[in-house]
Amino acid sequence: MLMRPNMFTSYEQDIQMLPTTTKKVVATLAVVVLLLLPFNLPVINQIPIVSFLGDPGWLRPMSTVFIFAIAALGLNILTGHAGQVSLGHAFFMGVGAYAGAVVGGTGTSSVWGWGLPIWMWLPAAGLVSAAIGVLVAPVAVRLRGLYLAIVTLGLVFIGIHMSNTSWGRRIAGDPGLGRDFPKYDIRLWREETPLVDVSSNGQWLWFDITAGQKRYLFLAVLMLVFILLAKNIARSRTGRALQAIRDRDIAAEVMGVNEFKYKLIAFGISSFFAGVAGALFASFAGKLPAVQFSLFLSVELIAILLIGGVGTVSGVVMGAFFVELSPKFVEEFTYWLSDRSEQAGVVGTMSDLLISNAAGDFGPISVVTQSPGWPLNVYDWNLILYGVLIVVFLIFEPLGLFGIWLKIRNYWKRWPFSY
Amino acid sequence: MRKTTRALAPIVALGLVVATACGGDDAADEPAETTAAPETTAAPDTTDEADEADEADDADEAPSEIIFDFGVTEDVIRVGLNADLSGPFAGLVTQITEAQEVFWEIVNEEGGIAGRQIEVVILDSEYDVPRHLENYERMAATDGRESVVIFSQSTGSPHTSATAQRLVEDDLIAIPLSWYSGFAEADFGANVLENYANYCFESMNGIEYLVDTYDAETIAIVTLPGEYGEDGAAGAEIAAEALGLEVVYNGRGAAVPGADQTPVITSLIDADPDIVWIATTPGLTAEIFGAAFAGGLTDAKWSGNSPTYTYLFHDTALAPALDAAFYYSTYTQLWNTGDVPGMVDVVEGMRAKRPDAPVSDAYIVGWTEALIVKQILEQAAANGDLTRKGVTAAAFEVEADLLGLAPNQTWAGDMNDFAVRETYIYKVDTSLFTPGGTVSDEGAGTGFRLAAGPYAGTVANDFVFTEACFKP
Repeated sequence: MLMRPNMFTSYEQDIQMLPTTTKKVVATLAVVVLLLLPFNLPVINQIPIVSFLGDPGWLRPMSTVFIFAIAALGLNILTGHAGQVSLGHAFFMGVGAYAGAVVGGTGTSSVWGWGLPIWMWLPAAGLVSAAIGVLVAPVAVRLRGLYLAIVTLGLVFIGIHMSNTSWGRRIAGDPGLGRDFPKYDIRLWREETPLVDVSSNGQWLWFDITAGQKRYLFLAVLMLVFILLAKNIARSRTGRALQAIRDRDIAAEVMGVNEFKYKLIAFGISSFFAGVAGALFASFAGKLPAVQFSLFLSVELIAILLIGGVGTVSGVVMGAFFVELSPKFVEEFTYWLSDRSEQAGVVGTMSDLLISNAAGDFGPISVVTQSPGWPLNVYDWNLILYGVLIVVFLIFEPLGLFGIWLKIRNYWKRWPFSY
Repeated sequence: MRKTTRALAPIVALGLVVATACGGDDAADEPAETTAAPETTAAPDTTDEADEADEADDADEAPSEIIFDFGVTEDVIRVGLNADLSGPFAGLVTQITEAQEVFWEIVNEEGGIAGRQIEVVILDSEYDVPRHLENYERMAATDGRESVVIFSQSTGSPHTSATAQRLVEDDLIAIPLSWYSGFAEADFGANVLENYANYCFESMNGIEYLVDTYDAETIAIVTLPGEYGEDGAAGAEIAAEALGLEVVYNGRGAAVPGADQTPVITSLIDADPDIVWIATTPGLTAEIFGAAFAGGLTDAKWSGNSPTYTYLFHDTALAPALDAAFYYSTYTQLWNTGDVPGMVDVVEGMRAKRPDAPVSDAYIVGWTEALIVKQILEQAAANGDLTRKGVTAAAFEVEADLLGLAPNQTWAGDMNDFAVRETYIYKVDTSLFTPGGTVSDEGAGTGFRLAAGPYAGTVANDFVFTEACFKP
């Protein structure tokens, strides 16, 4: 009875975050591995694929994944749980970034900045963004589907346009160069030496640690916090109300779900996630122009949702990893192949067929030419792959990576009687 | 994936034209350097080793006591390009990159620098700031085969600006593909080696030339908002004041990409200036110039900052209007113009290594970037110090000789002293344009006739340059 999956005797059991012992163990292990990844520890550096994710060169992409995971989890609450398609997530990320910059950034003659510590600017980023999300929501509540997508799309353009006005520049800086964003350093107030230094090489406890590793840990912990938040929202009364609205809004209202209120909440929470992610994103770059928060960013987040699996927390996290890291995998794999193209054997032959090492060489992937002609270089292939993946997932696996995982899991669950 | 500049869509379109033009032409033959030996710092005082190396080394330019740390090994020097290869400027930047590759191929055939071959590390920034930073970290790393000792290209102002502080911390030098006057300021871009004149001086020269040539009395200014357009506008305003021109329309920052340009165009036509100075993207230029010319502004002479214009216009319906009204201002000699030793090198090099490449002025930019880096590296090698610190120090010692392709340049001392003030002004002459011409075609050109250059007017020469013309 104790160890039987899918056998729940109470509602509390049913909505547990990690209902089985296996899940608890796996989740704990995953968190431990994630946090220890950058330190090249014995055991962990033996796990295939995972082993090199902690290398210095991978720390920045991995940290980016964490930021995008937070943003996508926010979008998932709105689009995945409440069913409101939004293309405006980049706008809310931008609002968060600039709210954080004004509260935490350094003021100059040209931009505003109050220089307050991170425990103020990071929540402020989320709260300001949430407030604007709630302001926008009443308009959005009246719309559905495609119309909502277009309205939220408008936000992105309004945002970039406003950053160009004279007061917008006081917030966002020069349209070409952008402004400086506050660093992750944790201070109590405005003291010179931070309480916890997150932005330069140094020592934590008794260990030497690089700035990249520090930022990785900082963002990894934040992502875990937001995963917990998202997971809890999904299984709460609010989460269930949102899902009811998504599945049939009229039926939900008949059941007593206040559609207006819950859509407002969905926009608010989703924008909060976006605001925090935006502030982290901007701070991670250090300096960004406002055009960075464009439609492409929104589309990227939608892609994470679609590829990962709409409406599932673990799917969205998988999607963030997949979308952000796959271009780098493709690149690395191409270099790895091209190193082997002159060798004999299966790998050499395959590489010879795929990679074109010199002009006129056979193979669709070029490692010599940088020009945008045939054979295409690996960067162009990445762009194509990205589009193709979205189409393929939409048609063949609407549940995304999460759906694939479900199929695999169910297969082995019933093995050897799976058919 | 994150493309930032939807607003620059017209450039993308133009880029595509270039892309189609140079499809499948590349005969790159990069030296395949797969085994990057771990960097070791040869101690300068270990005489035993030094003697051995002396005997083994027959290249006299490679003193054995050269010390090195990151991005340099016993046989390789790695030079980095953080370049936009799939973003809005891909068409232009791939050609710049191509010229650099050719340059280093030739240098390598001649024995390299300090007995070492030059290996070019090219990463695509997609014109995206986070991606640019990621590439930067890969190349600024202290190990791995992407670790470099200098950046011969860093595409884009926001991108270069985002790495400016890191460059100082990491003892690296970068040549930006951006001519904002602020990069000359030490606290803004100490290790950013801006090549050629900046937007601000360019505007002064262009306007002074037009005033001298056409006795102009009125001027209109149209620019993009932001560091590029408004730096150009600042220079134009300085020139207008110094030359006593009346500014009949000041559209500083008025040409917003993606917005409706009608207000700008009608203001221009109503103002009826003698000169129009424009600093936008080629897409916007085509739109504004075309509409204003068609709307009756046919007597005005136009010119603008270099990125405003592309020779690809010469194959369009705009050609007759451009012939009548446009002067192209830029920082270098153009393809196969000017009787200078550097041009012979570029043209012969491109013909030998990339005979099918389309004619383009971008090769000159790439070539001069590489020339600067070569001279810095040679200086560092002569100093016996190819460490990142040594190379950075060498950068402020050299006087880069650009062999007549552009004015020679230094970066040491006071910005008022080292800033280049000379630019080149070309009359558009579309009869000199060869559609579909390749570098191998003898008479192929991009459609310009040199009007003046290297040219620095009195305004630029007298200007006391102590801070950026435009402060954001």
